[in-house]
Parts: sequence; C-alpha cells; structure tokens
Amino acid sequence: MDDLLQHFIVEARELVQQATDSLLALERDPAGSAHLDSAFRAVHTLKGSVGLFDFAPMGLALHAAEDLLGSLRDGRGAMGGEAIDSLLECIGQSERWVDAIERTGHLPAGAAEEGYRIARVLRAQLDEGSADAAPTVPAADLAWIEELKAACPDPAALRSGDTPLVAIRYTPRADCFFAGDDPVALLRSVPDLIAVRLSNRDPWPPAGEIDPFACNLQVEALSGAALDAVKAVFRFVPDQVTLQEAARGAPGDAHGMRQDSAAAGPSPDPAGGASARMLRVDAARIDRLADLVGEMVVAKNALAHLAAQGADGMDGKSLVQGLQASQAVIDRLVAEMHGAIMDVRMMPMRDIFRRFPRAVREIAGPLGKTIDFSMEGEDVEADKSVVEGLFEPLLHVLRNAIGHGAEPENLRQEAGKPAGARVVLRARRDGDRVLVEVEDDGRGIDPGAIRRVARERGLASGDGIDGMSDEEVIGLIFAPGFSTASEVTELSGRGVGMDAVRSSIERLGGQIGVRSRLGRGTTIRLSLPLTIVMTKVMAVRVGGELYGLPLDGIVETAFVPSARILPVQEAEAFVLRDRTLPLVRLASLLEIPRAPDKGAAVKVVVMAVGDELVGIAVDGFAERMDVLMRPMDGILAGMPGVMGTTLLGDGSVLMILDVPELIG
Amino acid sequence: MTVRLEGHAILLEGQCRVEDAEPLLGWLQADRSRIVDLSAAEHLHAAVLQILMALKPSIRGEGKDSFLRDWITPSLITTDLPDGEPNDG
Repeated sequence: MDDLLQHFIVEARELVQQATDSLLALERDPAGSAHLDSAFRAVHTLKGSVGLFDFAPMGLALHAAEDLLGSLRDGRGAMGGEAIDSLLECIGQSERWVDAIERTGHLPAGAAEEGYRIARVLRAQLDEGSADAAPTVPAADLAWIEELKAACPDPAALRSGDTPLVAIRYTPRADCFFAGDDPVALLRSVPDLIAVRLSNRDPWPPAGEIDPFACNLQVEALSGAALDAVKAVFRFVPDQVTLQEAARGAPGDAHGMRQDSAAAGPSPDPAGGASARMLRVDAARIDRLADLVGEMVVAKNALAHLAAQGADGMDGKSLVQGLQASQAVIDRLVAEMHGAIMDVRMMPMRDIFRRFPRAVREIAGPLGKTIDFSMEGEDVEADKSVVEGLFEPLLHVLRNAIGHGAEPENLRQEAGKPAGARVVLRARRDGDRVLVEVEDDGRGIDPGAIRRVARERGLASGDGIDGMSDEEVIGLIFAPGFSTASEVTELSGRGVGMDAVRSSIERLGGQIGVRSRLGRGTTIRLSLPLTIVMTKVMAVRVGGELYGLPLDGIVETAFVPSARILPVQEAEAFVLRDRTLPLVRLASLLEIPRAPDKGAAVKVVVMAVGDELVGIAVDGFAERMDVLMRPMDGILAGMPGVMGTTLLGDGSVLMILDVPELIG
Repeated sequence: MTVRLEGHAILLEGQCRVEDAEPLLGWLQADRSRIVDLSAAEHLHAAVLQILMALKPSIRGEGKDSFLRDWITPSLITTDLPDGEPNDG
C-alpha cells in the first residue's frame, strides 16, 4: 500500500470520528452551530481527500452529506433526528469503506449502489422530504448465486417446486460470538437447505495470530422454503444478512431475481474492527528517543577512544576503570531507551472510548431505551495492545448494561429513578495497573436467579451454591457455559457472553470482577496491566508434559545420534561440530522418570549457560510462542529452577524453566 | 468437555460450543499434524468451525448428525475453499 493511501486511512478515521462526535453533540444540542461547523468541515475535508483516489461512490455519498450539512448551516433546512440518522449512516458507511480500503486497497463490491443509495437518501432530506427516501434496490451482484447453484449437491432439488428459491448471504459480525450468536446454529435452523457454501470473509491470518473469538466466516446458502420463513431465522441479525429470491432452475437461467433486504450488503462491526493500525505518536516522545540515540553514539565513541588507548599500551588498571565507566553509561542509556520505547507504545483510552458513544446509540436505539452515557478518564494511558484489546470486551459489557441492566422507562419511573438509565464508562490509573469500570444504575443482578440457573446447569453442586455468599454467586456470571436464558433479548444474552469477555481480559493479563445491588445497578470492573511484556519461549516435551524454555538462552536444536553420546564418568557428553558439549537430561534435572531413548537419535536443545554451551536432552520439541509470563508468587515464589508460568490456550499451565539454576 | 486430546487426535464430541474453540486452536497450533475426529460430533459452533477452516487439519469422520454430514463437513474435507488460501505464516 502506498504512503499516500496510508495517510489517507489515518486521516479518514480521524475525520470520521470528528464528524461522528460533532453529529452526536448536535443531536443533544441542535442549536449548537459550532458542532454543525465542525461536522461540515470534517465531511468537506474527507470528501476532498477521497477525491484524490478512485473511490467515486464514497465521494458521491460524502458530497451529498456535505450539501445537506451546508444547507443546514445556512439555515435552509431543518435539523431533525432523521437528518442526523442519515448523516450518521453515511459516516458509518464511510468508516466501513475505509476499513475495506485498508484491507484490500479498494472499495468493496456493491459500493457503487450503496454510495448512490446513501446520496439519494441524503438528497431527499435536502429536498425537504419530497422525494422518496426508501432505499433503492441495487442491481445486486448475482454471480455468487450462480456459483451456489453450481455447487448444489443435488441439482434436481433446484428444479422441484414452484416457489422461487431464497439465496442467503450471511456475513456475521466479527464480534458476534460475544453477543452469543452461533452462525452455524442459525444455518442449521434454515428450513429446506439446498446448497451451502462456507468461506472466510477476510483472508485467514497466520496460524499463530488467529483470534478464536473473532468471527471471520461468510455463509452463503440456498433454501427452498418461503422467504418469510427464512427471514424469521435471521430476524435477530438483519444487518448481517442479505436475502434474495432467485429463480429455480439450473445455473445459467438467472432471470426474475428480486432483492428483498432492508440492509444492502453485509455490514461489518459498526464501530470498526480491531485490526492493526498505524500508531500516532506524540512528537516529544520521538524526540526523546532521538536524544537517547544521540547519547548512545557518544557512548560508543568513548568506547572506540578507549579501545585505541588500550592498543597504545594503556595500563590495565586504567583500561578496566574506563571500561567500567563506559559500561555504566551504556547500561543507563539502554534502560532509558527501553523506557522510551515503552512510552511510544502507550496510547490513551480516548482512542477506543471515542467510538463508544455512537455504539451506545446504535445499541439503545432499537431497544427504545434512553441512555445517559458518560465517560471519564479518557486520558489514562496504557500499552497499545492493552487498549486495543479492550475494545470488544468493553463493547460487550456495555451491550449487557444497556440490554439487561437498563430497565424500560416505566419500570424506572415506578422505582423512582430518572427515565434515562445512567451508564458510566470510567478509566483510572492504579499504581502499575489500569482500572476500567462500566457502571449502570439499572436493575442489578438477582443472586436468586443466578443460583437457580447455576443449579439447573450444574455449574456447581447444590450444597456448593447454598454455601456461597451473594457476591460469590454473582461472580458465576463469568463461569463458562453460564447465561441467564430468562433474560434473552434480541440484542445480547443468547448464549455465552461474560465468560468470553473474561477470557479476553485474562489473555491481556487482566482480571474481571462484578459488584451488583439488586434494583440499584451493576458495576463491572476490569483491572489490567499498564504494559504487556511478552517473553519468547520454546516449549519442549518431557515425560508427557510440556515445559517452556526461554528462547533467548537457546542457541540451536539438534538431533544427536545415540551412538555419539559418550559416557564421561557419571555424566554424558556429545560432540557437536568438533566441540565436546556436556549433555544433561531434562528429565533428570526435574527428577521425573526418564523415558527410554526411542529411536536412534536424541533431541537436544543447545543452550548457553554462563560462558558454556550445554546440551539439554528432551523427549520432543513443541512450538515457539510469545507468552505473558507471570512470576511465581505466594508459596511457590521460592521454587528453584522455575522462572514463571503462563496459561496456554487450553487452560493448562506451562512452567517456564530457569535452566542455569536447575543445573546450578 | 466436548473437545479433548487423545494421542495424536483431537476429538470433538456432542454439542461443541464456543468455549471449545480456544483449546482446539491451541492444540492445532502446537502440532499442525494432529487429526481432528468429528465422528461423534453433533454440532460445531461457528467458532470451532472457523478454526478448522483456517488451519485445515486432517479430518476423520463426518459428524454424527445429518446437518453436519450434508452441509458442514464436506467443506472441510474438500480442499478448494473459494475465497483465498489460508496463510500458514
């Protein structure tokens, strides 16, 4: 991707954000001309940037938005909720287009129709609602339906029956698992399936970077059932599915198709995905880093000078003193550079928080709830990976607060609460951790209901549940497989939820907790480390167990033929490229029974221990990984030979060994 | 648990849920040659399915349930998925 396009993407995101913030502010305060000006400027600039590239449909939509904003600014139009809605729709679509451009370099298929549609809706507002603002039916791209027909395992089924077929294209949102959706279960409930094609929405990431909680599927299917029956299956995800009637018959005679979908095209995550982004860094931080590099050059020159003096016959004592002084300077500089580079990675919570007001509006809208949403602590900083990793879990927590926590207005008024539910998102620094809270003043969690569900699902024994305090019972919402089905809404709570949030937070090295008072509200509290320091380890297998060895101590791995292992008194040694290295069996170090040597070769990890190389015999090599290492604490703190532990994907614990200490 | 490791094979059994995706991913990442056995599977959550689609392990069995056999496992066994090849990194 060329530089210009990269800058465009960064700038476009900021302008989209500015426009969104201004439009939301305008909705609260319709008289605020500063907000209108700001929105107009953002859209105007964005339209200008779009013009530099071949993104005509996006330009068309934004141009219409600019004209509408311009006429509102000149007092020629009335600012109503409808205008705000259509402007936000245009901005939201622009944001999705920017995401698509970042992924693929161009606008997605169907953008032309969509841009035209948005422009028409906006222009209809401009003409004071005289024109029909209903979405036009785009001439959809029908090739995929033909391909589906071709893939049908039973072509006879394509012809039998008189009603048209229904073609389904379902692109689940990336965060749909957090909402409890299971696209496969939805597909299963489609009546009379005739053909199915499963594919990936975006190219799969490398195996090591797959996020099991981000849905990347696209499901296409043909059904012989009536359109309404198919529609009913997807009633909870109308924004993610396109349904089309297609004529029966063999592939090729694709006449008489008719689109039936309110939403044109699939829409990915409305608030933007968590893809890798460019990092915007405060110039002062880069300057500091540059200063440090400058000092490092000076320190290096001093070392060169010292080397020259040594060559000229400087006496040993002065040379050692000079070296020690030089080493102390370099030590300090390296530590400062490390600190500076960690600083560069720090980003404020604002970068994700600013996307929530619109998300809250989009969640609350369909539920008919009024939410008084506020945020605190946007300036609190944490490592980029922590901040970005928080977006989806927080979105889900907010969704729960709005969907489950906030009561309908009439119930709130009966309880003497203000009509709009208050939801506060708050971040603050606490020592070397960041606390993030989502607090609502809604109905709270009923420990009685949790007890009942926990018993029904067998999450704990009856006695166990009776013995738990209310707080402990409420904590069960994070247990795998828990969901209060009695609270099912169209929005959230269908299936898993909080346990997925908990695993995401734990993967960031954080903890999650809940406090709730029935009738008074719920607070979900996340505590996260400010920075994540990943350690590279290589996993090895010994006696059926996995252990981690820090990669920085490993020189190489080798297969040593058993015949080349030489007993040396009590110990063993082997020759590797003309060097004799001691061989140590990891099983003996760990004092576990040693498996007999299988095959003709022994697997050896060659590690640097002090100044020497040592071969460590293991039963097998496993993969290398970046892990979040937790130091040993509590009663295990004094355990020799173990540097720390980490949690593996399957929930098991990997011990990371300190080999020099083990050999000791 | 509806997912478990038995020797060189990963067994998916019964109603596989979203929680099963993470251990499945971990085991496959650790050893890409492991076989995934679907013989006793009655349902695969989409999160589990997409791990299988992304990593394309060898599959044994085609599911205990007709929906899986007809519509889901065929796309795991045929190698030519339409959009984009997975990137093994």
